[in-house]
Amino acid sequence: METSRWQESNRIRRLPPYVFARVNRIKMEARWAGRDVIDLGMGNPDQPTPGHIVAKLCESATDPKTHRYSLSRGIPHLRRAVSEWYDRRFGVSLDPETEICATLGSKEGLCHMMLAILDEGDTVVVPNPTYPSHLYSVVIAGGNLCSVPFLEGGDFVARLSRMVEGMYPKPKLLVVSYPHNPTTVVADLALFEEIADFARFHGMMVLHDLAYSEITFDGYKAPSFLQVKGAKDFAVEMYSMSKTYSMAGWRVGFCVGNPEIVGALMRLKSYYDYGIFAPVQIAAIVALRGPQDCVRQIADTYQIRRDILVEGLNRVGWPVEKPKGTMYVWAKIPQPYADMGSMDFSVMLLKHGDVAVSPGLGFGEHGEGYVRFALVENEHRIKQAVKGIKRAFEAGG
Amino acid sequence: MRISRRIKAMAPSQTVAITDKAKKLRASGVDVVALSLGEPDFDTPQHIKDAAVAAIEAGCGHYTPNAGLPELRQAICDKLRRDNGLEYKPENVIVSSGAKQSLYNALQALLDPGDEVVIPAPYWVTYPELVKLSGGVPVEVLAEDDAGFKMTPQQLDAACTDKTAAVIINSPSNPTGAVYTADELTALGEVCLRRGLTVIADEIYEKIIYDEAHASVAALLPKLKPQVVTVNGISKAYAMTGWRLGYVAGHSDLIKAMSKLQGQITFHPAAVTQHATLAALNGPEDDVVAMREEFRARRDYVVGRLSAMPGFSCLMPGGAFYAFPRISGVFGRKTGAGRALDGSPAVCEAILDEAHVALVPGSAFGAPDYLRLSYAAARQRLETALDRIENWLATLS
Repeated sequence: METSRWQESNRIRRLPPYVFARVNRIKMEARWAGRDVIDLGMGNPDQPTPGHIVAKLCESATDPKTHRYSLSRGIPHLRRAVSEWYDRRFGVSLDPETEICATLGSKEGLCHMMLAILDEGDTVVVPNPTYPSHLYSVVIAGGNLCSVPFLEGGDFVARLSRMVEGMYPKPKLLVVSYPHNPTTVVADLALFEEIADFARFHGMMVLHDLAYSEITFDGYKAPSFLQVKGAKDFAVEMYSMSKTYSMAGWRVGFCVGNPEIVGALMRLKSYYDYGIFAPVQIAAIVALRGPQDCVRQIADTYQIRRDILVEGLNRVGWPVEKPKGTMYVWAKIPQPYADMGSMDFSVMLLKHGDVAVSPGLGFGEHGEGYVRFALVENEHRIKQAVKGIKRAFEAGG
Repeated sequence: MRISRRIKAMAPSQTVAITDKAKKLRASGVDVVALSLGEPDFDTPQHIKDAAVAAIEAGCGHYTPNAGLPELRQAICDKLRRDNGLEYKPENVIVSSGAKQSLYNALQALLDPGDEVVIPAPYWVTYPELVKLSGGVPVEVLAEDDAGFKMTPQQLDAACTDKTAAVIINSPSNPTGAVYTADELTALGEVCLRRGLTVIADEIYEKIIYDEAHASVAALLPKLKPQVVTVNGISKAYAMTGWRLGYVAGHSDLIKAMSKLQGQITFHPAAVTQHATLAALNGPEDDVVAMREEFRARRDYVVGRLSAMPGFSCLMPGGAFYAFPRISGVFGRKTGAGRALDGSPAVCEAILDEAHVALVPGSAFGAPDYLRLSYAAARQRLETALDRIENWLATLS
């Protein structure tokens, strides 16, 4: 008996089955059965991209010059626009030639970044729970994945330090992300400085995912990791247009910071792709350089939804705090359901309340005991979701 | 009854001793997590069991040739070519009842009284005992965590005398999980070539390797190949510990000598096991890969947790299913129950009695500053065990 030669690679086999599949299936079944399910599961922005950005895309798409192969690392004007934006927003200066690389959204950037900097057997430390791509980009690249239970503030760094002190060879990379998906934890510059000191001490690189920098509330402003003095010596940041400008489907993101790391990604990508469709890049320039009031409007919309959801949940006996950032609400499963597990609890909300949420387990084992709401339905429907949850609690007993 | 001096001189296996103690505790109603045994917690793949049943039904219950079924020895040659780049003929192969017997037969065939065998420490508990039983003298060479638990060519050279006959190289290693690279093996092999040593390459953990590709020393140095005895088996790769089959590939003179011995003591391994092994070696490797990937996830988890424990530090192992943390940081301290932690046996005993986790002291492997934790256990059990150890550490004064 000869083993088939046509098999998936070991890299593929390391990827676990999709955790959200079960909830998604039940959601689809409910919809086919004609039920109106309110979908607060996936973090897929529902608001339209601001009109002036869409208009620029349409306009530039008619120009035949934009129909040719673009540039893998992003056209120079786009990289310059990012550099200017970082300077305006954070006071961080970036060389558009060597310190900025455009990516097809953060996800692509993350996955290729790991391939660009990891050798088989290199260890990466990742908080847990976290955005699943933080974990699986490492898996795809063949790295060792050590996760640290994600706690708020300095406790996280203390836990991290204890782990890395006892570990060798030392991990090569630390992945962090603030404001954090799914836990909504935010950071101040002092925390970044603490993390930077830790990473420098152990000679580790840092990758900071800043996808939610502009989705913040109540006057809180998220810092960039690169605001830490000297951070460019060992850190890169992934930034994405998806949430800031509701451009999720456009697939525009950036990797910025340390020129060696950014350069490694550029080199790898030059073999992989010809870059984002040029009209999308041109529209992205307009987004970054144009009026920014749309950004506040988008964040304000999430803030109103957040208030409705959190206050509603509290009213129906589910104590939850208002997050300072991200488009999510991370909620500890209330009594008497706490022991049910996030997967079964999510299914219960779906079956008895017609509300879809993401089970915490889908973000890593330390996410168990929680669910994540994405604020991607309108105010009216979020109110309806709260009613559905109340119904589920009454039915679920 | 008067017992021979030969047997009285043998050290009882410390791994078995601790497992027995754990069993006793368990019998008295205590929930003990046993992480002391080197046995995969998976079951033999179905297609292998089916092949064994079919062989029994077909009437395989008769003697086979002493060195093993010709088709099995051919399958082993095919495997060695496919996986290891080694060309052998069936007359270069003999199967025995477990890799332990393969090793013992080889040592019996190779050693004269007083011959020295270099054994890098930490070593598998069985090596020195088998060398002594065969009339040889074990010479331990300690390579600690700072050397990645790997013996250097200089260390090997310095340990050799005019009586040195052989060296045992176990990669991936039990108990440390260390994996020698092809370059490291080549460098060791060159010393062996220069000194005319026989190399006993124990490759039983070959399939449980995470980062590097496995390298076989016999394939690296063609001139050395006639002096290399490659030992392997099915226990770890196919979760077939209880089936008892190991094999040796090497010079035909050695195989003849081993056959002579085996013909007098045990004869061939059970026929049904040989048929099952044939199915294992010729069949698909999906289960092997799935098992390895599960081990990898557990390894990352276990090493992360152990590293974070005060007084412990842990090397990221490249293979096998053991973590081998340094625990000397807690020596000299006292447990909550007043027990003095004066070495790894005391630490393991205290963890067993007070935290109910069975581990093996490093002293059993010739490395007293460490302990061995086998992560061939379900994730939940590992979590429970590590929580208990962590809580126990918090009671130390």
